[in-house]
Amino acid sequence: MHPAEALFDALLLLSMVVLAWQGVHARNMFRAVVSFMMFGLLTAVAWVRLEAPDIALAEAALGAGLTGALLLATLGRLKPERRGARLQRAAKLSMLPWLALGLAGTMTLLAVTLALPAPGLGERVLSAMPEAGVDSPVTAVLLNFRAWDTLLEIAVMLLAVIAIWSLGQDVLASTSRLPAPSLPALVRLLFPLLVLSTFYLLWRGGHGPGGAFPAGALLAAGLVLALLAGARVPERMTGAPLRCALAAGLLAFIIIAVGVMAEGGVFFAYPPRHAPMLIAIVEIAAGLSIGVMLTALFLGGEPTDTQGGST
Amino acid sequence: MVLPPTAMLVVTLLTLPLATATLLFASGRQPRTLTLAAALLSTCAALALGLNVHLEGVSVHAIGGWEAPLGIHWQVTVPGAVMLLATAMVGLAGAVYGAGYFVHRPGPEGRMARVFMPLWLFAWGGLNALFVAADLFNLYVALEVLTLASVALVALSARRTALQAAMRYLLAALFGSVIYLLGVALLYGQYGILDLDGLTSKLDPKHPGSRAGAVALTIGLLTKAAIFPLHFWLPGAHGRAEPPVSALLSGLVVAAAFYLLLRLWFGPLAGLLTFGVGTLFGAIGAGALLWGGVLALMQRRLKMMVAYSTVSQFGFAMLVFPLALAADREPVVTGGTLLLANHALAKAALFLAAGSLVRASGSDRIDRLVGFTGSSRWAWIAVILAAAALIGVPPTLGFSAKWLLLQVAVAEGAWWWLGAMLGGTLLTFAYLGRLLERALLAPAPAPHPPKLKIALLLPALLLALLACVMGLWAFDVETFARLEPGP
Repeated sequence: MHPAEALFDALLLLSMVVLAWQGVHARNMFRAVVSFMMFGLLTAVAWVRLEAPDIALAEAALGAGLTGALLLATLGRLKPERRGARLQRAAKLSMLPWLALGLAGTMTLLAVTLALPAPGLGERVLSAMPEAGVDSPVTAVLLNFRAWDTLLEIAVMLLAVIAIWSLGQDVLASTSRLPAPSLPALVRLLFPLLVLSTFYLLWRGGHGPGGAFPAGALLAAGLVLALLAGARVPERMTGAPLRCALAAGLLAFIIIAVGVMAEGGVFFAYPPRHAPMLIAIVEIAAGLSIGVMLTALFLGGEPTDTQGGST
Repeated sequence: MVLPPTAMLVVTLLTLPLATATLLFASGRQPRTLTLAAALLSTCAALALGLNVHLEGVSVHAIGGWEAPLGIHWQVTVPGAVMLLATAMVGLAGAVYGAGYFVHRPGPEGRMARVFMPLWLFAWGGLNALFVAADLFNLYVALEVLTLASVALVALSARRTALQAAMRYLLAALFGSVIYLLGVALLYGQYGILDLDGLTSKLDPKHPGSRAGAVALTIGLLTKAAIFPLHFWLPGAHGRAEPPVSALLSGLVVAAAFYLLLRLWFGPLAGLLTFGVGTLFGAIGAGALLWGGVLALMQRRLKMMVAYSTVSQFGFAMLVFPLALAADREPVVTGGTLLLANHALAKAALFLAAGSLVRASGSDRIDRLVGFTGSSRWAWIAVILAAAALIGVPPTLGFSAKWLLLQVAVAEGAWWWLGAMLGGTLLTFAYLGRLLERALLAPAPAPHPPKLKIALLLPALLLALLACVMGLWAFDVETFARLEPGP
């Protein structure tokens, strides 16, 4: 390793530890949230250093962007006197055993992890690539070799939306939008770019870093920014159209997984000549749904439609 | 009669609940006939699958045609099939009960009725996915589907107490998930594979990676299965949820995590099950039996008592680990599986019947419950049958399970664990007996308890009856002889 790289890594690690500490021990909540967001960004950089650009993209969009927006929106909903309040501090003495335990656990884990041979399945994936129907190994794993995992993960995301929506109605309406006068203009500029990047990443997922998860995260970032700038979910989109957009990814996935059984009778076995097209359909449907789902999580409840009384 | 091939049945069991749940959510409507048809069809598929396993034995299916370790396998094992059947029974019973329990009407009051069915089907699909999974990471994702659906179901009533319990459950379950995932990562880092069969043949107990991985997987699953002393989240979540939700959670969701614990410790981690580890698990189990039992005895509210009874009953299940130390493992695994199935049916019946009794009494204080009158009589009969199965009165499924385990304990001379089992049974008898004595011998005066719908009585009654009758069938132990899939 080049000395400059080693220095960079050391600095990165140090900053991550400092930010993590600040995130937990900051004087007030706003500072804690900002530390957390910066921690997310640096984690993305760490993924880049580990040569995992796909994870870095998702981490930057989710760990720093969307989670940060969620936390800030939550902060905005707290009563002002609590917003600036000092976080409760645990009594120092009672923390000591936990600190010792955590430290011992971390050291053990570190020792074990460093000794792991970490063979991984990389070689097997590469040797199966000719039959995968896509050029990017990550997409091949996510949407072909281990597509059943990904299907269930999308079910988990949809469940998260249903769970949050089941608690009550849209909370965003009661949240004041961010007091930033220049935001609407900025969003007007950024939103088309983000949507364009979403489709770029979806297209790119077939042969390089990108794909449904980062693309969906970018789309969500655009939509959340628009919401922060004061945009509202248009009335004709609430209700069934929105719910269909949320469900489309999972439904398309299930239909294709079962549908390919017509040829060959094996669940999720894409017929080789149709594999690229089928994977592309799944990727686009999943990517768009992920974008809408992440935005729906930010909304915090089902946007009220004019008929009133839905889920 | 020609049964559909096992692979088709597995696909049906996994995709039908998920697809129906998604469609229900997308349409925003809950046509009762469609949801009940989906529930019925899933149940039929589980029955056919059980019959297939009985006739043809266990089987392995490579998803997408990709062989492990590159791809993911489904494995239909005998314990898995038993759990799939129990899931189907509880799933169908809960769906019928829920259709009668939650009132359908427009506006906010009908919210629970609208949200219940999609979440119920998601949980059902997650359980099915877990019971056929044979890959560490796939199991993790299935657990997550199950966890999120369960948390949302606990929060269903949106009452303050329910929301607090759901939040606590969410945090505990996510902690469990993260620790489990850490274990998956450690084992993957050591062996470079995720499928359980491959790990079983490769795992070397001497590697520090396997040990650390096993510890992490176990702590994660013990949290999710609410095994004492990590049970802190369970009584609130199960006691404060709506009755059909409590039935699913207590009967199956914790059982699913425990099933996975069995699957791992009698599969890949078997080499690590030393005397010390087995004894530790047994001690935890004995502690759970005692603590859960005593607290169940002290509860004044019916559903909290039933919830603490779950903590206690999973202590029994933990005793299979020390029993498996010396002896042949097959009867122990069979006994453990039957114990889980019995608990699933009986506990679900108990919670459903408890919900009906609470509705009839207008209070869930044990000393204010309606007596053995009117339509509540049928709910009490379900309670008595379920109590018999939980205590292990012959010929219930609970008796078969405990009998198998007792035989092993006697054969091994494991007197300590035998004592724990007998003590636990006595405690179970004590707290369930106290309930029956309080309510039946000195009932609260209730001149006109409301008449209960048949949908609130029949599911509990049938589940309890099933737990009692299945004991006769389960003595055909040959059926359960093999845990690992055949050729």
